[in-house]
Amino acid sequence: MGLMIVCPHCGTREYTEFTFGGELRQLDAPDPEADFRRVYLRENAPGPQTERWFHAYGCRRWLTLVRDTERNVIVDGEP
Amino acid sequence: MASLDLEGRRVPFEDGDTVASALFRAGVRTFNRSLKHHRRRGLYCLTGDCPNCLCTVDGEPGTRVCTTEARDGMRVRRETGRPSVEADALSVTKLAGPLMPVGFYSKTFIRPRVAWETAERVIRRATGIGTLRTDDAPRSVPVRNVLTDVLVIGGGIAGLAAALAAAERGERVLVADEGRVGGLLAPGPARERLQALSAEAGGHDRIVLLEHHVAVGIYEGPMVPVAGRDELLRVHPGRVVVATGAIETHGVFGGNDLPGVWLGRGAARMAGAHGLRPGERAVVVAHTEEAFEHVATLRRSGVEIAAIVAPSALAGSAPGGARVVRDGRVVAAEGSKGVRAVVISAGGARERVECDTLVLSLGLTPRDALLRMAAEEPVGGAGDVAWPGCSLVEAEESGRAAGRGEPVERRPLGGVVVGGRGTVCLCEDVSIGDLRDAWAEGWRSAELLKRYTTTTMGPCQGAMCGRVFASFAAANAAAPRAGGRPTARPPARTVPLEVLAAGVHETGTKRTSLHERHLQMGAHMDRSGSWIRPYRYGDWREDHRAVRERVGVMDVGTLGKFFVAGRDAPALVDRVFPCDVEHLEPGRSRYLIVLDEAGYAMDDGLLCANADGTYTITSTSGGSDRMESALRDRIDRWRLHVHLLNQTAMLGAVNVAGPLARDLLERLTHDPVDRDAIPYPGHGRITVAGVPCHAIRSGFVGELSFELHHSRSRGVELWDSLLAAGEDLGIRPHGLDALDVLRLEKGHPFLAQDTLPDDHPTKLGLDWAVDMTKPAFVGKVALERMAAFPLERKLVGLEFDARPQRGAPLYASARVVGRVTSCAVSPALGSPIGLGWLRTVDGAFPERVQAGSVMATVVPRPFYDPEGARVRA
Repeated sequence: MGLMIVCPHCGTREYTEFTFGGELRQLDAPDPEADFRRVYLRENAPGPQTERWFHAYGCRRWLTLVRDTERNVIVDGEP
Repeated sequence: MASLDLEGRRVPFEDGDTVASALFRAGVRTFNRSLKHHRRRGLYCLTGDCPNCLCTVDGEPGTRVCTTEARDGMRVRRETGRPSVEADALSVTKLAGPLMPVGFYSKTFIRPRVAWETAERVIRRATGIGTLRTDDAPRSVPVRNVLTDVLVIGGGIAGLAAALAAAERGERVLVADEGRVGGLLAPGPARERLQALSAEAGGHDRIVLLEHHVAVGIYEGPMVPVAGRDELLRVHPGRVVVATGAIETHGVFGGNDLPGVWLGRGAARMAGAHGLRPGERAVVVAHTEEAFEHVATLRRSGVEIAAIVAPSALAGSAPGGARVVRDGRVVAAEGSKGVRAVVISAGGARERVECDTLVLSLGLTPRDALLRMAAEEPVGGAGDVAWPGCSLVEAEESGRAAGRGEPVERRPLGGVVVGGRGTVCLCEDVSIGDLRDAWAEGWRSAELLKRYTTTTMGPCQGAMCGRVFASFAAANAAAPRAGGRPTARPPARTVPLEVLAAGVHETGTKRTSLHERHLQMGAHMDRSGSWIRPYRYGDWREDHRAVRERVGVMDVGTLGKFFVAGRDAPALVDRVFPCDVEHLEPGRSRYLIVLDEAGYAMDDGLLCANADGTYTITSTSGGSDRMESALRDRIDRWRLHVHLLNQTAMLGAVNVAGPLARDLLERLTHDPVDRDAIPYPGHGRITVAGVPCHAIRSGFVGELSFELHHSRSRGVELWDSLLAAGEDLGIRPHGLDALDVLRLEKGHPFLAQDTLPDDHPTKLGLDWAVDMTKPAFVGKVALERMAAFPLERKLVGLEFDARPQRGAPLYASARVVGRVTSCAVSPALGSPIGLGWLRTVDGAFPERVQAGSVMATVVPRPFYDPEGARVRA
């Protein structure tokens, strides 16, 4: 409910301004088998997870962030 | 003199009056009737906690009048009695009681079934706290996100001390108080100290003081929704100090809900802050030292103290001048309209003391719902909520500690003594006897008992009865887990639904530059996704005929429009889209099916190559946001040198379509628009009626057509010129209704209407739009993987014997094998046609199927002009 994201372009904003882009994944896979895993399977592990967020109601830029999925807080921002 | 209106009666009030004090001064003693048994209820807590003063104020039912400031012309109604709150027939005849025993929903009027229908009507009329107005216009309540270092909830002594301590450390502080800071305190040292702190906090530039702002709950984050009168704040504090104080503990004994029974702080507030005597002659139950201050306050206002009932440990410090009953206990309050006498038991003997007021100071119960909601957040309590009954000095001390971020250990609370009779839950009208009955029926844990009896579930959310209820459960439960307090959940205080719903509709609606024109032309407008769009101008068949036979115009400004430039623009479009980009000449365009990583169709549109190595892309009206984020994701992650400009809102677009489309344009432009200049599929830059346009040939409606993209500011000018120049050609605008049939005749699917989330191009019959010889595009590997599986479902064209319903299931041999996704009686073909999903039966697609009650034949698409000669014209 209260997840806040520090956007490097816009400042601290509520998560409702963003679109969740899922876990950071490879963009391509060498073979169909690896591609299947890349497209369909997720780690979904508790703890820090690197994710993509799109600032849809702000700068309309993608951010790569590390979110602690247990506490639902951003623990690391854009490098 | 200012006055309010009570059911047609004029009630004057004074400065500083609440609605409750104004009514009380005017002699009102019964403020509402209890929910089920229709017992009279009078003022009790006076702090906005109990449900006894809920009235309808200016049409808003369930308003706590004890904390509502009186305003001139306010209309107050007590809606809980039949026919009136003062003469309630349901109470006199004792009808309501037997009708609604505890758990009545589960056990009365079960058989025969028809009995319930009648009983429900009676019960519904008999219960409830007022009538909700449904005729007033919805109010739009704005939402604001607020960032602050510290949020202090409650502007009392502890809260303000916390705010000052935090501000002194350089932190930004927001203080939210549900009323006016210090507004209703009786004169005395507490009020003096509060006024001093409030002056100090008010002058501090790092403290923002918000009055009439109610904290609704504490959510993860923490995020605290704070409801103001006309706004909802979503407060994101670094930490929260809850300083919501305490309520005097609710007493349970026979007659405990009679008018004339007061909680100590309530009686003191009436006497001290409003200068009104709660009654003539009072019995005061004093289990706290604070009660003796109440005695003094009551005496100053002229109340005679008949007796003070106090435990031995306190009795010694009781003020003189009144009889002190040591270690006594109130057994019952007697009376019908109000208290006439109180029965006290002490030392084995009972005595009856005549009085009209019973003041209860049984100890303090923290107003801790917010604290209990937030076990794992950086949330601390201060003052009475942490240390119930603490002194002023302690309140300030704990506040300063909490303000500095130091933990304030909560002091443990004991159980409370529960009498043999009396009302536990004032809101839901549940007696201690009801709890015993329910327990005997087998509801033997606090959570179950709560749900069965609805105790703690009323407007006060257990503020009064929560501890009593927990003590009952704990005393009876065999296992410790079955005792305890039920979980605290938002809302902690009553908030209007319209405030909670604030922002829900803020997705808003978008309008094109031609919106006013459509209205002037009598278009039927409605929502389409986030846009308001014209559906038809009169009869859609006429709109349709203009396009097929003459020329029609449609506002397509809603289409997603993108401009792609930069060194890597060709690389981007080539690596993302599945069509052949390499051989796309400048001035030419291609149909674009956009795939996601799983190879499924995400959107469609057109890709236009411009002469300077840039591209123009269109997408569907609903797909532009996704198109943009998908492209930006790739630009970003591939580190491409690309400028992507989303021009959806900057550009307007009008589609000029029909066999006479070119004739019309030629009247308005000097630029060539013949098939060599702007071929199909292709595009070009032309000036139409003085408006520079990007003209894109498109095939969606199946006629010669030019999509004219132009600067939004010149849309009206262009639209008017087209309609004027085409008047003698029989031009007509059309909307989505005609479009739906025009494209259906061409067999074009509407993405999302005719498609499912897992449609790859083969299922849609769009293989021709995918170049599998390209080294790579988004979704290619997935398509290769899926190609190994036989096709089990596809989108087909259907011809019906009669028009079916959209969504009708398709049957083959009594098995459901698909569904109709679009259908219409085609004016061009004169027969009912449609699109639909079809599954294989025994490895083959059926040729003839039943669509609901009519028969359908699977036919090739498109239905109209299959060679596409008209589009290419």
